[in-house]
Parts: sequence; C-alpha cells; structure tokens
Amino acid sequence: MTSFVVKRVGAALGIVVVLTFVMFFLQRISHTDPVHAMLGAGASPAAVRAEAHRLGLDRPLVDQYFSYLKGLTHLDFGTSYRLREPVSTALATYFPATMELTAYSLLFALVIALILGVGGAGKWKGAGVFRAIMLPAACIPPFLLAMFGKIVFYEHLNLLPAAGRISSSVANPPTGPTGFLTIDGLIAGKPNVTIDAFIHLLLPALCIALIPAISIGRILRSSIEQTMQMDHVRTARAKGLKERSVLLKHALRNSVGPALSMAGLQLGLMFAGVVVIEIMFNWPGVGWFLAQSIPQGDFPAIAGVTLVLSITYVAINAAVDVLQAVADPRIRV
Amino acid sequence: MAAPDPGIGTLAGNEMTMSETSPPESRQGIRDQVDGRLHGSGSGLDAVASTEDLSITFARGRQRIHALQGVSIAVQPGEIVALVGESGSGKSALGLCLLGLLPTRPAPEVAGTATICGVDMLTSPESEKRAIRRSRLGAVFQDPMTSLNPTMRVGAQVIEAAGSEDEALSLLEAAGIPHARTRMRSYPHELSGGLRQRVMIAMALAGEPSLVIADEPTTALDVTVQAQILELIRELRETKRTSFLFVTHDLAVAQQVADRVVVMYGGRVAESGPAGAVFDSPYHPYSAGLLDTRITLDGPLAVELPTLAGDPVDNSVVFSSCPYLPRCPSAQARCEDGVPELRQLDADRWVACPISADEYSGPGLVSIRSKARRAFQPAPRTLDLTESPDSPEIQLRGEASDGKASSHQVVVTVNDAEKSFPLGRRDSGRAVLALRGASLRVMAGESVAIVGESGSGKTTLLRAISGLTPLDSGSVQIEGRSPQMVFQDAGSSLTPWMTVGDILGERLRKERMSRHARRARVIEALRSVELSAGVVDAKPHQLSGGQRQRLAIARAVMVPPSVLLCDEPTSALDVSMASTVVNLLGRLRSDLGIAMVFVTHDLAVARTVADRLCVMYLGRVVEEGPADLVCSNPGHPYSIALLESVPGRGRFSPVSGEPPNPVNPPAGCSFHPRCPQAEAACSATSPCLKTGQGEEMSGLHPGDHHLVACIHWGGRLGSS
Amino acid sequence: MVASVFPAITLVALLVPILAPDNPLIPVTTSSGMSSFVAPGHHGFLLGSDLIGRDVFSRVLYGIRTSWFSAIGVIASGMIIGGAVGLVAGASGGLVDSILMRITDAFLALPGPVIAICVVAAMGPSLFHTLVAVAVVWWPFYARIVRGEIRALAGRTHVDAARLAGVSRFRLATRHLLPGAVPAIVVTASLDVANLLITMAGLSFLGLGAPEPAPELGAMAAQGMQFLLTDWWVAVMPGMAIFALALLSNIAGDGVRKLWGRS
Repeated sequence: MTSFVVKRVGAALGIVVVLTFVMFFLQRISHTDPVHAMLGAGASPAAVRAEAHRLGLDRPLVDQYFSYLKGLTHLDFGTSYRLREPVSTALATYFPATMELTAYSLLFALVIALILGVGGAGKWKGAGVFRAIMLPAACIPPFLLAMFGKIVFYEHLNLLPAAGRISSSVANPPTGPTGFLTIDGLIAGKPNVTIDAFIHLLLPALCIALIPAISIGRILRSSIEQTMQMDHVRTARAKGLKERSVLLKHALRNSVGPALSMAGLQLGLMFAGVVVIEIMFNWPGVGWFLAQSIPQGDFPAIAGVTLVLSITYVAINAAVDVLQAVADPRIRV
Repeated sequence: MAAPDPGIGTLAGNEMTMSETSPPESRQGIRDQVDGRLHGSGSGLDAVASTEDLSITFARGRQRIHALQGVSIAVQPGEIVALVGESGSGKSALGLCLLGLLPTRPAPEVAGTATICGVDMLTSPESEKRAIRRSRLGAVFQDPMTSLNPTMRVGAQVIEAAGSEDEALSLLEAAGIPHARTRMRSYPHELSGGLRQRVMIAMALAGEPSLVIADEPTTALDVTVQAQILELIRELRETKRTSFLFVTHDLAVAQQVADRVVVMYGGRVAESGPAGAVFDSPYHPYSAGLLDTRITLDGPLAVELPTLAGDPVDNSVVFSSCPYLPRCPSAQARCEDGVPELRQLDADRWVACPISADEYSGPGLVSIRSKARRAFQPAPRTLDLTESPDSPEIQLRGEASDGKASSHQVVVTVNDAEKSFPLGRRDSGRAVLALRGASLRVMAGESVAIVGESGSGKTTLLRAISGLTPLDSGSVQIEGRSPQMVFQDAGSSLTPWMTVGDILGERLRKERMSRHARRARVIEALRSVELSAGVVDAKPHQLSGGQRQRLAIARAVMVPPSVLLCDEPTSALDVSMASTVVNLLGRLRSDLGIAMVFVTHDLAVARTVADRLCVMYLGRVVEEGPADLVCSNPGHPYSIALLESVPGRGRFSPVSGEPPNPVNPPAGCSFHPRCPQAEAACSATSPCLKTGQGEEMSGLHPGDHHLVACIHWGGRLGSS
Repeated sequence: MVASVFPAITLVALLVPILAPDNPLIPVTTSSGMSSFVAPGHHGFLLGSDLIGRDVFSRVLYGIRTSWFSAIGVIASGMIIGGAVGLVAGASGGLVDSILMRITDAFLALPGPVIAICVVAAMGPSLFHTLVAVAVVWWPFYARIVRGEIRALAGRTHVDAARLAGVSRFRLATRHLLPGAVPAIVVTASLDVANLLITMAGLSFLGLGAPEPAPELGAMAAQGMQFLLTDWWVAVMPGMAIFALALLSNIAGDGVRKLWGRS
C-alpha cells in the first residue's frame, strides 16, 4: 500500500514537470512579446535589450527553463503584464474563491450522481424517470443553465443572489484561515457569513455540477447494474441477504471505482465550467481573473492560472487513485 | 431451526409436523403420491426439495429458449442427487429456480412448482424465499473466483452467512481450510482455487441448511483438488446429513459423488435412479450413449471412439415427440407418438423411454456400444509394446531398423526449457516460474500427450514449441513445416469478423493460386473435417462449439504442419463432442502422417490420443513413457496421485494439498510437500528422469523408455 | 434509425447559406428603420434581433454550422490520431506500448479544457487555434480506448492462430485487431459529440474563437449576457441551439450504441 502511494505520488510529480515544460514552450510561442508587453510598443532598442536581459531572455533556453522551474518552486509565476505585479499575489487573492466553488460543485456533483446512479439502477418504477432526465440534462451548456438560473431564481423569484461571493451588507467577512468563506465564517463565529456565502455559491455550484453529476451518475448506474449481474452478488443473494444489503454492501462498493475515476476526470471539465460560471456570476476567482487576462494576452497570468488548476487536478486525481486502492484490495500490487 | 437430529426418522417427523400446519404442502404431497409422478425414494412428503412439472422459458432476442419442459424431481434428506446433462439441458436453470434466483431481466416464463421444505420458490413473496435461502439452503457455484466478493475479506463474507465469527470459524474448519483463523483475513484473490471453493462450501453450510445446491462446483478445479472437494461433500453428507443437489456435466463426477442420478436431455428428465444402477445398466439410449462416448482410462486403444449421432438438441423447440428421437439408435415407430412420460422401471428407477425392457434387455445396449467402432490405423509407433520398455536393446533396435527411418526422425526437440513470467511490475522481482528445465522430443508421426494440473507449465511448453512464447533459456528445434496449433477455446481462436472462407484462405496466402483454386482448397479442407461447404461464408459465431473446433482443426492442417499442437481442444466441449474431436484428430494424424503434441489435464484423454505421455509438475517433466504403460503402471507418486484422483473409478484416495504456487516452488523434488512417500532426502535433491535401471536419460533419448524423476523409482539402489 | 440524425444535421449545416433568411453579419433594415432588440416573432425576426439589428435566427444557423463542423472535425482527428496511436501501442506491446501510453497518460492526467484555454490564449484567439488546441487535448482519450480494446483482442488466441498462419504484422493489426476496436471507437465518438459541442461553446464563450462579428454560438451568448435581464433572447437563443444540437447528437449517439450492441 505504501509503495503504491509512493509510486502514485511520483507519477503525479512527473506529470507536473511535463506541465512546466509545456508552459515554458507556450511562453516561447506566445503571440505577446514579454519585452514589449512590459515596455510598450515604442521602447528604444537599448531599453528593449536591457529589459530582455533583466528577464533573462538572452540566456540559453535550458538556463531559462531551469530558472523558470526554480521560480515556480518558490511560487514565482512571473509578473503580470496587465497588473504589473507578481501573478502569485493575484492567485493568492483569487484561488481560495475558486477552490471553494469547485469543492462545493464537486460535492453537489457527487451527491446528485449518487442519487441518479442508485435511483436509476434499481428495479423500481422511478428508475425509468431517472434515466429519462439524465439524457437531456447532460446536454445543457453551463452558461445556458446559469442564464436560466439567473432569470428564474434572481430576476423572478428573487430567491438567490446572482453575483459575487458575499453580500456587501455583510460587514468585515473573515479573511482566513482557509479562504473558504463558509468555513471561515464558522471558525470566526459568524454564522451569518457562512449562510450568506453558501447562498451565493448555491446557484453557480449547481450550474457547474450538473453535467459532471450526470456523467458520474451514468457510470455509477451502469456499473451497479453490471455488478448486480455478477456471480458474487448471486452468492450474496443465495445467502439470503436482503436486497438492500446486497445493493449497499456487495454491489455499491464494487461499483464506486469506475464512478470515482470518472469523477476525477470530470474535474477537468469542471474547471472549464468554473471559468465560464465565474464570469457569469462575477465570482472573484482565478477563472474570472483568467477571463480578464485573455483579451490582454497577459500570458504569465494565464499560465499561472493554468498551472494552479492543473496541479490541483493532478493532485486530486492521485488522491482518487489512492482512495480506489483502499476500496479495492486487488489494485494494490 | 433446531439442530437436526442425526436420526432421519426424527427429521422426517419434523417435516410431517410442518406439513400438517401447512395445508398446501400436504395436499401437494398427497397428489404426488397419488399420481406417482414424483419419483424418488419414498414419497414426496419428506423431500427437502422437489419440483413438479417445472417449465422455464427464456426469451433470447426473438428466440424462445425452453430451458426446462416439465421436470419433476425430488431430493430426500441426507441424499446427494446429481443432475447430469450436457450444455443446453437446462440443469443450471433448475438449480437457480430452486434457489429462487432466476434472472429477472428479462424474467423467464415459469410454470409448475419448485418447492423447498414446503415453500414454493416461484410464487412465494420475496421475503419468504429469502428466509428459506437463509435457513434452509446453501449454494456453491462453478467459479469460486467470481462467486466471492473480491473487495471483502473471506471471513466477513462467511460471517455474513453464519452470523457470528465463532460460527464462521467452525464452518471454515469443517470445510477443511487449514489455519482457518488467519485465512479469515485474506481476500479471495489471495487464496487458491480449491481454498476459495472451500470458503464457498463453508458459506453454503451456514445455518445447517437442509439442502446445498452445487452448480458445477468442481469444474473449474484441478483434478486432485476436485477429488478432495468431492470427498468433502461426501463427508459432510455423512456428518451433517445435508442433502446436495449436484449439478454437473461430468458423468464420472456424478458417479463418484451421487447417491441418485437424474439424467437430463433437452430440458426434460431422461432417466433417474440410484447412481450404481444407472451407471451399471443405463436404460435410456441417451444415458447409455453418454456413458459409451465417455473417454475412460480402461477403454480400448487405437479404435475410433463411439460418438453420439446427430446434432445437440435445439431447445428453442417445444417437443411433440421424444427429444432424443433424431439421434436415437434404438428408435421405434411409436417413439414419435408424443413426448414419452417418465415410467417406473422398478422401485427407484424412472425412465422417459417407451421402448420396453424385452426389446432392450441386457445386451440390447450392446448394440449401441458396438455400433461402428471401426478401427483406424494409428500412426506407426516407434516401439513394439510387447517388449520390456526399459531394455536398452530396444533403443538399439529402433535405431538400426532403417526401414522405419522416417518415423525415427525427430521433428521437435526441446532442451532444458526455462521460462518465467514477471508478476505485476517488472521491478518487483516476483515471477511465475512456468518452465524450470523441461525437455521433450517428438518423433515424426508420433503423438505425445503432456499431462498436468494448472501451473504445471504444460501450455507454456506447448506455446514455446509453437514459437509464440520465446524461452528465457534452453532451445526449441523444429524440423519441417512450422507447427500449427489448436486452442482450447475454439471460439476465441477464430477471428470473429472474418468468414470461414477468409480464415482458412489466410493459410494459403503465401501460395500463389487463383481465387477459384483457393476456394476449392478451402472447401476441400472443410470436407476433411466433416463440415459442409455451405459454411464457407458463415462467421464463426454462427457455428456450434463442435463445428468451431473442427474449423480450427481444418485451419491447422490444411497445409499439413510437421507437428500439430493441441491445447486442451476437448475440455470446453460436451462429452459427446469431445469424442468426435478426438476421432477427427486421430484420423487426420494417420491420414497426413503428422506428429502431435496434445496438452490435457485429463489422463483418460491423454491415454486415448497419445503414443507417449509426459507428466509435468511445476515446470518439469516428472514422468514419461508409453501412454498405456504410464496409466497402468505409473512410477512417480504424482502420477499415481493424478490417477487416483480420476473420478468415477471406485478407488479414490485424493492426495492432500494443492498444486503449489509456481511463484516459489518447493526446493528439491517439488512434489515432496504433498508426497505420501516423501523422506528427508526429497527436500534436498531434485531428482532427474531415470529409467527403471537408474540410467539418467537427460531427455535426449526419450523414445520408448519409461522415465521417472523420483528417488524411489526402480534405479534408486543402483545410483546411490 | 435514430443514428441517421448525424447525417441529417450535417446536411442541414451544409445547407445553412440557403436556409438562413438574412446575412448574419449585416444589420437588417426594417420598414420602421430601427431593428435593434426586436423580440422573437416580431417583424419577421423568428428569434428576434440583436443590439445592432442582426437577425438572431440567421446568426444561430451559421453558429450551428461552425459548431457542428468544428465538433466533427475534432472528433475525426481524435479518432484518427488516437486510433493510430492506440493501434500501434496495442498491437506492438512491449516498449513501444509503454512509451506511447506514458505520453497518452501524461495528456490524460492534465485537465484538457484548461490546457486548451491556455494554448489558444498563447497562440492568440482564432477558430483555427481553438480547433488545434482542442484536438491536441482530445485524442489521448481515443488512444486509451482503442489501445484497451486492442490489448483485450490481442489476448485472444485468434491472434496467436493468425501469427502461426504466417500473417504479416501489418495484416495482423489491420485485419485481426483493428476491426474489433471499430465498434468501441465509433460508439465512443458518437456519444462524445455532445461533450465536444459544449466544451467548444465554453471556449467560444470565453472569447477564444473567431473574433467578432463572426457568428459563434458561445460568443453570441457571452455578448448577450449584459442584456440578459432585459432582452434575454440574444443570449438564450444561441445557448438553446447548443442544447438542441447536443441533445440530438446524444440521442443519435445512443442510437449508434444500440446499433452496435454496446452498453
């Protein structure tokens, strides 16, 4: 088991190194020239040379890569062309908001998937209804869902807020220690912060969660159905176990593996959804920051966001694999 | 349930009290007694399980498969009933039906009754069926790997059935699991096949069930382990008086284990009665035919095996006459008048055949047995078996007889073959040692059988000869055309999306010939294996199992190789199909004069097809010699154990232990941990193959000698 | 057959220049002069008009055309590149397999859409760059599936039999292995169209597609967002078009799956 964890973590680190290669390469082919981005178009050749030297662009490529890598280990993502300040400062501001939104989206996705998967797999009459909802629901683009959410729950029902992380009326929201307002509110003893923050993230998180939830739910359903046909489930039934304990003790545990893998993969799509949804809901996260940076061709900012999201993704997938090894002893070799 | 009293009378008494309180059952029992359709010892009243007029129909696509068509059977307390039939006989559906576990999607149509201890397993509410499964029934299924939950420790799985840890422990011990307490913490994939099946049995025995339904429980196991499990079942029946319904395709297994046998054909009972009586004098022409086509260790050699005529039963038909009629050699005109009802032969024997006893008495059966047993010319043996096999003169004579020069040409030489397969990651260093220095020689036209259990390396040796598996060390030399192979699972050995014509035509790609000529060659090849030219445009899945295997053989021999390699080509086939394939291989071999290496776990098949026999254990040849001699007078304790484990021969004393893990074979003679004759020296030295006179042969002059790798073998005194 | 929805949509997409009532790029002048934000169903605007008076219906039709051909193009490239890599890896085994699958796994271990965003942003927003970026992150999925199918087939003895029959490596791969992987790849691809449509619409929504005034569904929805609560149709109609397109292709994909008997 320990060796499995070590191997999995090693593989994840390898992926991250590959990622830094890719980012370095993209930086080179980027259509924005870093020197002119910093100095403006009309800079004198001498100033350009000086700036290029300051940025290390006159050194060999390998050198440049290693100093880039070295910077990354110190959380130095470079300087934003647009803000003229370190990208890491902006990421530190925006990243917790994105993580909180993603965490809740993932949580919602898993809960919905479990309901859809187990509900759709049973032999009861409602199973058909579950299956019927899943097909069209999987086809709604997140931004369309967000539009409907805004029109219905904000404009017409006035139930849910449609922008930001927290109401301006909430005075002095806590700024630490986790950066998750729902949790920090509890830690700071301000339940109103937690409630307000939760209401704010409800709509965007659901919009992000829907499509992944259905993908995961589908896999879970077919996996449960397959497991329920297996010999060992027949053995469990032959023992005289109740159908419910057959499903929960014997079928579900053997079916969550594929669903968990799918959840890990769906996280990639969720990050893309997060970017769109953050724009739609003015959510002050890295996605929103990314959207601000794209039109300016602010590559260090774009690369910084890509790196933090990718590293999070790689880390979560490694964790999922380890979880699976815990669930299924055959994987630990 | 109170613990059952060992006295059968008391148990029956209990059943009587139960039936008095439940009117439907007693009514049922009386009806059974009246019309007498429920056959078995005594009345149906005290049966732990019975079915009456049970019919099951599955919908498969547009086809309707009539798995059972009016089956009535009964299992009495403390009785082992074997339900015997070929694939498609409906035997497994019957077992599942009694468990109340027929598939639900799509749900089959069911008629009749299936009763366990008075509870109808078809119509009762699910909760009642579940209670019966919990308290009165146990089940053991074919594949112990897939039948256990892979993510749960086996202890937890047994506790689920047994209720408490102590109870689970005593069940595991009763099922013969050594170190049961530590084993409880294992996952199924950490146990051997035999242990897994013992865990299944422990689970089935939880709650002192009245009946255990065992569906092919030994089919996936090695023959020595099968013997142990069969002994265990007999023993449990003695100690716990548990009834068993033992579903099997293997007549010998049924003969070994059962008190009573029910032979099924086409979803109907063909014959039933006490095991001894049915096997000694089968009445139904199908039972007689099945017994006759069985390949045994004492059958005549060098003759064609008897086969069942005709095609396997088509169970998409509702029969209006005897289902066996199209294949029956004793058919009479009146056999066409309706489906024959079961009739009583004597106290305990029932048969669904209208032919009367005098038409049929005693030698009448011989007419089937002796039917068309024509001798075929086997490939010339390199040895006159009347001579003493170990005398050195024979070898000299063999080399001197230049008249038979061609038959003395060696076509396959394997020297000191070693092969290991890494387990898991390459760097873990763990590996399955499949071959640990095996040597083999095959002469032109000779047939050699390699016999061994799983992990013996027999298939790896075969694949090494074919060139498909490269060796780690050692050498393989082939003379003449490259070898061809016939695989165990014919279906998997044929490219599914190619037509029969394409599959066969591919062998001719190197020969320049017109499309027309190629097609003619293909059709000729089909004819040679008794397939009609009409199948040339069919895809493999449109053929039956037996046809597919014949097609695979046609592909192998249409350009005759110097040696034909056969990897258990009969083990996936029904009994009657197996003998057809063995006959076909025998004929092709004598017609084409090719050598054959035949890998099998079945000694009887090996003896029938081979001139010479090699017994392998853990990657080494432990005994080789003329096939008949090795079977009648085995030298190595392992060969003796294998022979003793063959079911259906009366004497039956299974060797203990299981084939060890080929990842770390025991030091010295690898058989010594299981060997009844083992002594201290056996764990120290690893004996090599020797003649009875103690001459080491080192695999270079195999020919006709009887060689054994055991320190107890004849030459021991001379060598020490 | 439900599966024929695929060619049907392709046909409609081809005929868009004929079907569209107006030029998607030019404001329509009506009798009343002003055509800005006409509600759906008025003044001959089936789906309304946008800020500067262009016909939303025509723009949506052209958007569907772009989305559809983009999705088909990326899927096709995924099937070809992924199929080739998977076939070579699965059929060769050993070192070649290890190397190719390491590369594939590295791609799969990264969040594809995020990397695609970064790639387009680096190369500069354009439809072509978006297609390339998505294609680059999309093929490994297919390589995995094909390789898995091929490895499963390679374990069957029919491959051994073919090798013993003296079949060449190329023929072994193309005749004895590849046909067995075709159902899996076709079914996967047809169920993948909807995912791709939605993902690409997301990129276009972020401004990573053809620049304004090109009619792209995602971009149109993004531009309409600021008028969502007053003139909802400008944003919602393109979104609904993506939804309809995705739904149709999922239904068709399900049809393909049933046709090939896969679950």
